[in-house]
Amino acid sequence: MLDRDTFEAIEAYALGTMPAAEREHFEERLRTDPALRAELEQQRDHIRAVELGGLQRALKDIAQQQAASGNRRSWTPYLKVAAAVAVVMCAALWYALRPTTGERLYAAHFSPDPGLPVAMSAADDHAFQDAMVAYKLEDYAEARAKWSALLTERPQNDTLRYYTAMAALGAEEVRTAIPLLEAVRTDASSHFADQASWYLFLAYTHEGDTTNANTIRFDPADAHAAAAATIQQAWR
Amino acid sequence: MEGVLSHTAQAADWAEGLRCNNARTLSALYTKHFPAVRSYVLQNNGSEDDARDVFQESIVVLWLGVKEGRVVPEADAGGFLFRVAKNKWLDVLRSAAHKQMKVVHDDRIAERIDEVDDLEERIVRLRGVYDKLDDKCRQVLDQFYYERKDLATIATGMGVEEESIRTIKYRCMMKLRAFRKAIRGEEERHG
Repeated sequence: MLDRDTFEAIEAYALGTMPAAEREHFEERLRTDPALRAELEQQRDHIRAVELGGLQRALKDIAQQQAASGNRRSWTPYLKVAAAVAVVMCAALWYALRPTTGERLYAAHFSPDPGLPVAMSAADDHAFQDAMVAYKLEDYAEARAKWSALLTERPQNDTLRYYTAMAALGAEEVRTAIPLLEAVRTDASSHFADQASWYLFLAYTHEGDTTNANTIRFDPADAHAAAAATIQQAWR
Repeated sequence: MEGVLSHTAQAADWAEGLRCNNARTLSALYTKHFPAVRSYVLQNNGSEDDARDVFQESIVVLWLGVKEGRVVPEADAGGFLFRVAKNKWLDVLRSAAHKQMKVVHDDRIAERIDEVDDLEERIVRLRGVYDKLDDKCRQVLDQFYYERKDLATIATGMGVEEESIRTIKYRCMMKLRAFRKAIRGEEERHG
């Protein structure tokens, strides 16, 4: 594998963003190092392939915009009627599917855990880091699948329990996060215990389970104490 | 210049715009030159979708030609796009499914251009490379290499740290490298 510094030097040269002094030195290396020349050619090719993908996406967007503006012109007379019908249907649908009090409170107070920084680290936690990358990109299903697999191997690991629960919350599978959060909250040695208490409180709120939610006590100094009190107030 | 497509001399802002992946240039080329291609395809048994497909392919050929110095900035972009699109549509009409159809304006059939054939072969190969990337990689790499956004802007837009984007970019490019290495190994094994 090409190390990241060399990769980024080649990239800067290929993109023309390398400072002049470094550039001279790099060109000197290129003259004497055929392997580096081959890497540069390959990387230029890969960048071009990515640019081509971007171009195709951009062209598709332009075509869609043009088709939409053409359609807007020809359909304008019918749009008002369609809009009125849509408003009535949306109102009816919203009434039928409106969120419960718990779901509304949860939505108002839930913000996802930002995750851990993804750094270049040892190969043994690559799987964990890959899942973290997916989590940060809000691909919660993939993150959850990867962390769940690791959790099977290390069922007592509080970090895995916590982030598997976070991925479940992100994927709106709130109920499945509850047992994992319970386990982290009761693990006194876990750095995630306080955060787990808060998310557990929110998860019970989401499920309308005020009895269990009220068993979770927050220290007045806890960052979430005020929000928890607001939610309890709303229930009452 | 040998091996370079040269046409009517014109202001060359469009070429610089394509070289920099400028969204406005792309949109302007589309708006200005698509109607001619659309008329031609519709007159020759094609649909709106057919016209859009051959036109977009022609833009890709023009873009790659400019990027790789095989289409000069003085070239007539509209003429180039029309000729490539027309050849592409005639290829479709010559295919088995369309053999019975009569082509209007047959006398205007454009000559084949070797340079364009080369570019098309290269496009097929580059697409093969891009296909190996998953959506997550495409999302990050597209913003960095195509849209030319810096890491901090991408990170802010995606709600993650700059370091994470830097790592994702590196890993995704290494995936492509590993893929190419595997292909080379395969080719060497088979002769």
